[in-house]
Amino acid sequence: MDSKTAPSPGFGLGLRPEHYGEFRAGPQPVDWLEIISENYMVPGGKPLAMLDRVRADYPVVMHGVSLSIGSEEPLDFGYLRDLKALADRVEPLWISDHLCWTGINAHNSHDLLPLPYDAPALDCVVGNIGRVQDYLGRRILIENPSSYVTFRSSDRSEWDFLAEMAARADCLLLLDVNNIYVSARNHGFDPQDYLAGLPADRIQQIHLAGHSDMGDYVIDTHDADVCDAVWELYGDAVRMFGPVATMIERDDHIPPLAEVIAELDCARALAARVLEPVHG
Amino acid sequence: MAETLRDRQALFLAGVIANDAAAEALIVDDNRVGAAKRLAIYRNNYRSSLTGVLADHYERLHAYVGDEQFDNLAEAYVDAHPSHTRNLRYYGEKFAAFLALHYPDDGELAELAALDWALRHAFDAADTAPLDAAAVGELGDAWIERRLTLHPSATLLPVRHNVAALWSSLDAEEEPPEVMALPEPATLLLWRNDGQSRFRSLAAEEAAALALLDTGASFTDLSAASIESQGEAAAMEALAAWLGRWLSDELLVLAD
Repeated sequence: MDSKTAPSPGFGLGLRPEHYGEFRAGPQPVDWLEIISENYMVPGGKPLAMLDRVRADYPVVMHGVSLSIGSEEPLDFGYLRDLKALADRVEPLWISDHLCWTGINAHNSHDLLPLPYDAPALDCVVGNIGRVQDYLGRRILIENPSSYVTFRSSDRSEWDFLAEMAARADCLLLLDVNNIYVSARNHGFDPQDYLAGLPADRIQQIHLAGHSDMGDYVIDTHDADVCDAVWELYGDAVRMFGPVATMIERDDHIPPLAEVIAELDCARALAARVLEPVHG
Repeated sequence: MAETLRDRQALFLAGVIANDAAAEALIVDDNRVGAAKRLAIYRNNYRSSLTGVLADHYERLHAYVGDEQFDNLAEAYVDAHPSHTRNLRYYGEKFAAFLALHYPDDGELAELAALDWALRHAFDAADTAPLDAAAVGELGDAWIERRLTLHPSATLLPVRHNVAALWSSLDAEEEPPEVMALPEPATLLLWRNDGQSRFRSLAAEEAAALALLDTGASFTDLSAASIESQGEAAAMEALAAWLGRWLSDELLVLAD
């Protein structure tokens, strides 16, 4: 089968301003970096100066949080123009955003709001991804979100929705393994069913992160280490999908870079173990 | 369901932003967590991201009033100002005006907020090439007729309180001095120099000079205005000193 994805560049990290100093101080053992696009969609100054320095030393991927492909209203072409300008500057390996919507009618939640998994939402998302890909001139990656509600109108699973979306829009996927765990806990599905329902040939990148366990539900906070259950699920994903570009996302309680790199090394070791040929 | 996706999204967002309980009808209820609590997760996310970004943007104001009072101010602002910006970086622009309106007797609050915001602006404003001594040399004598303006990172901020001293103490994590009204209204200049956001207090004459340049005046226009207000000898001395400093501070750009 022809894979739609580019070969994995290896193991990366989300670039955070807290680690600028350590990246400036010398080379770090990461294969690539992911930036939050919006943090650099500013006119100039230190963010863009730092980005240019980092880009000189590492491949970069762009990860957005404001595309809002699930909003049933016209796309914001001002935003897309700025995103494309940033892409022209960064020349990223790829560009991603989320299966979500962030606002409607000029109000913005700045959150990754959930979609009903039904035909109207699928039509909306597929149409918007097509328009974005045409504008950017490249396939984009769409990430599975964490979610806390199920819409009454949903008539299919998230993984069925993603699979049909990816096929119809001809886009790629960013698989957030922690989000699968979080949503599985919140909605009571089996994460193995989720993995099994995804199109393996479209998974370009994997996110790993920590969350907050509230007992009855789980919140995707990115403020803690990756938990054992998510490591286990990551192992399953690597077994099913092969070597996929993997990174740690940390957005709060950010530890020194060396600690995040140590966690990334756990991902490297786990993936290597899973992919090691079985000797008989 | 009869409504369009757009209608359902408008209702869901009203549940998140405006606590509209009707939004609960859109989602599946359950015994374990329940629709109301599930929707409240999004409501909390919304409020905490907006109050969180206000705390980032208005760091010294936050230090000045303390956690509890800042939370009250930020919550009130979020109630009054739902976000209309796509990039969270630009949320909170009207916080100083909001404080000026609601706390007219505590004018230092709005001024500290305006100072924080202008420094935040200086941090990531456009990288327009500043006019330096070499560029002036290349332009030759004709440069004095060229229309000038302030660098995009620059703000002239009128103040009536000792907020420059307050800000500096708070930045150094020291006990701030007593707030007091200045004997005369003053102007602070905030801008970026050598990659760093900076500010300094201006004497009235320099503030007027920079305000004139900010309207697109040339150095010739400025010279004429200064001679008019200060007399020729004082004006010539001041202009020479200002120009040297403005060029080394990377404060001026050609307007066209």
